[in-house]
Amino acid sequence: MITFDKASVTYPGGVRALKDLSLTVGDGEFVVIVGLSGAGKSTMIRAVNGLVPLTSGSVTVNDWSVPELGRRQMRDLRAEVGMIFQAFNLVKRTTVLNNVLMGRLHRVPLWRSLLGAYAAGDRELAMQCLELVEIVEKAYVRASNLSGGQQQRVGIARALAQEPKVILADEPVASLDPPTSHVVMKYLQRINRELGITTLVNLHFLDLARMYADRVIGLREGELVFDGPGSDADESVFEDIYGRSLTADDVLEGQAQL
Amino acid sequence: MQRPADASRRAWPKKPPPTPFAVGGLIGLVVFSLVTSWDWILGIGFNPLALPGEFRDSNPAMVEGLYNVTDAAWRESYVDRLRGAFTDPDSPWVLSLDSRIGRGLVETVQIAVLATIVGSALALPMSIYNTRLGAASSTRLAISKALNNTIRSIPDVIWAVLFVVLVSTGALAGVLALTMFTIAVVVKLTSDIIDGIDMGPVEAARAAGASHAAAMRTAVVPQILPGYASFSLYAFELNLRGAAVLGFVGAGGIGQAMDFYWSRLDFEGVSVVVFVFLVLVIVVERASIAVRKRLV
Repeated sequence: MITFDKASVTYPGGVRALKDLSLTVGDGEFVVIVGLSGAGKSTMIRAVNGLVPLTSGSVTVNDWSVPELGRRQMRDLRAEVGMIFQAFNLVKRTTVLNNVLMGRLHRVPLWRSLLGAYAAGDRELAMQCLELVEIVEKAYVRASNLSGGQQQRVGIARALAQEPKVILADEPVASLDPPTSHVVMKYLQRINRELGITTLVNLHFLDLARMYADRVIGLREGELVFDGPGSDADESVFEDIYGRSLTADDVLEGQAQL
Repeated sequence: MQRPADASRRAWPKKPPPTPFAVGGLIGLVVFSLVTSWDWILGIGFNPLALPGEFRDSNPAMVEGLYNVTDAAWRESYVDRLRGAFTDPDSPWVLSLDSRIGRGLVETVQIAVLATIVGSALALPMSIYNTRLGAASSTRLAISKALNNTIRSIPDVIWAVLFVVLVSTGALAGVLALTMFTIAVVVKLTSDIIDGIDMGPVEAARAAGASHAAAMRTAVVPQILPGYASFSLYAFELNLRGAAVLGFVGAGGIGQAMDFYWSRLDFEGVSVVVFVFLVLVIVVERASIAVRKRLV
């Protein structure tokens, strides 16, 4: 369970990215966070694993109170929370398998990671995670040789290798074309359904949000402006979240037609 | 395209005059050169007209050697002796691995290889620590910068003198001196490329709960490896040349052979050392460049 309680983030320079956000995400939920760029989506997601520290309020993940964690405990928390990035954030010069094994770093002894001598069990798990996103045959290919969609699937496998309880996905399809976006979203949905991993996804395409979300959270200028099931999130809701009327840019399919 | 009829009478924009900085810089450079070279209190007293006289008054054996080059018979005998050094086992210039020059050459390569391996191995973690990302604290970064600046500001010959005092003369002093020199070169170049890497993987490693050291190893090292390997090979080229000089202060290598001939004013011996060393440097440099090209 993830609980935000009056969580606020003010960046150095005075930008208030999150304003008194209070909400609870239950175990196993698939939540999509929507809003314009700069609305605080990334900040909200990064507050969950402490990559962005709160200015005030609190975030609780399972039993961890994120703002109070020491360095060691923060690493323990992050081990339970997998993360997927807009730019994939793979080490492009090394193999797919090595990238997935980065998800095991919390459990791997330092000497093993320094030598790159990962235990057989970790390799086995990494392969299984690659199998889940159906890209295991690329295990020994350099990450730079994969397409964008394939790289994002490796990113998902890396998050899965942590055996996480929560997955955070920050704009996972923003760098991908529409068909590939659906593939990646379907993998995220399957992982949520089959493995019961709580999933928080940032999106800015409203049709994708409506199609995949159990629950939609709308942010505008750091404030919660909508919280409800995906089926309730009709166009008037999105116009409210975006603070303007919708355009073709706001839907993935609309963009595909341009 | 048709040219307008009055094209010749059109006024084009004028070329802007050179900036005051360019003019001032050029004048300054000329004045500075004159002030430093002229024969007065702040100058070194460089006088081009006095050069031939100074040359004549310098070491007569060396000058005689240079004048020998104009003598066809001497040239022929020199080339013969040089050739004999490679073919005739009885030649006084025998270039077997057991000769003075041969041993010096082998030792030079050994010193350069060892110093490059040890120095580069130490330089990799030191380079990471020498960046804001790796040090992860401004105090530690300042300490690391101070240490590396100190290592870099001491020339390799001075390192050699220091280590000759510490561990006495011989190859070990040379290895230690060039190890410090390798660290100086590789850390400087490698930490510069760390500032330009993709930070995405570092964020990913942190988000996965990796320790700082593990994050550096898995997210940073693969990105800098080609550059680091290339710099290490470059350091090897520099070390090979450096190892030649270090012999003069007693730190082993071909320099000791050169010093031997030099101190006996045997400039032909010196010329053989220079020649064989030149060949070695060219071969190693070509090989190193070929490997480095494939690294990027």
